[in-house]
Amino acid sequence: MQTDGTRFPVWLWYALLCIFWWGLWGFLSKVGSEAASPMQMQILFTLGMLPIAIGMLLQMRGKLDRDRAGITYGLLCGVATGLGTLGYYAALREQNASVVTPVTGLFPVLTIVLAFVVLRERLNKVQMGGMILALASIVILSI
Amino acid sequence: MHWMVYAGVAIVLWGVNGLFMKLGTNRVSARSMVIWVTAGFVVLLPVLWSGSTLAGLSARVIFVGLIAGAVNGLGNWAVFACLEKGAKASVAIPLTALYPLGTVVLATAFLKERPAALQWIGIALAVAGGAMLSYEPAAAVAAPEEQPHCVP
Repeated sequence: MQTDGTRFPVWLWYALLCIFWWGLWGFLSKVGSEAASPMQMQILFTLGMLPIAIGMLLQMRGKLDRDRAGITYGLLCGVATGLGTLGYYAALREQNASVVTPVTGLFPVLTIVLAFVVLRERLNKVQMGGMILALASIVILSI
Repeated sequence: MHWMVYAGVAIVLWGVNGLFMKLGTNRVSARSMVIWVTAGFVVLLPVLWSGSTLAGLSARVIFVGLIAGAVNGLGNWAVFACLEKGAKASVAIPLTALYPLGTVVLATAFLKERPAALQWIGIALAVAGGAMLSYEPAAAVAAPEEQPHCVP
């Protein structure tokens, strides 16, 4: 489809778009957290996501995929991310963000290991090198 | 409890989440995933409300928080679309975890914060690491609907 004959696969555009949106989220969080607690911000984030979800539902004209396993994974994604964030906030009560955030930022390592075992995904040598540089940058940028 | 315990909980849940994201988009569309994920967040709302209220926050802060949530939701859609279009979880998750790069760029542009020397190194590593992570010979990544065309 879109990837034919191009060096820039379509999934990469979406990854860059995600970095932009989440980067903006990080920026707005920074602005908001000067006056609001992490818990208050998390409540506002959840409420702010609702119009997006409703917009997508309208865009799909209610034709929501109802595959049972898909729904379960989707719900688990929300709950796991939310509970993980609460764990992160709990760590912040005991330790500085400049120590906690570089550590919790290493979570992609676990995803890579799980994807290797469960999904049998294999990274090439260039990608392995990229992963190490990416992890180093995550640590540095969150200090 | 020691902060490492809480940090460990976050790492495990976020790490497992990366796997769930791929398993989910293998079965339902990216937009459907956004809706179910949001539902998962809503399930946690009572827990959050029990610990704090929005009382005392200025209208400006509430507005910023809500917009941040909406923008986060758009980011969720983008990463699900990325996985749906055939990205490996082991590429998409570390790649999108580079979003602090976007935050640093925006903070530089709008908060007049100048990146320190160490941050410049972080930015350079993020760009190089991201480019290398995305290096995939074209044939290796094929969305499921493309495969029939490969038959001679």
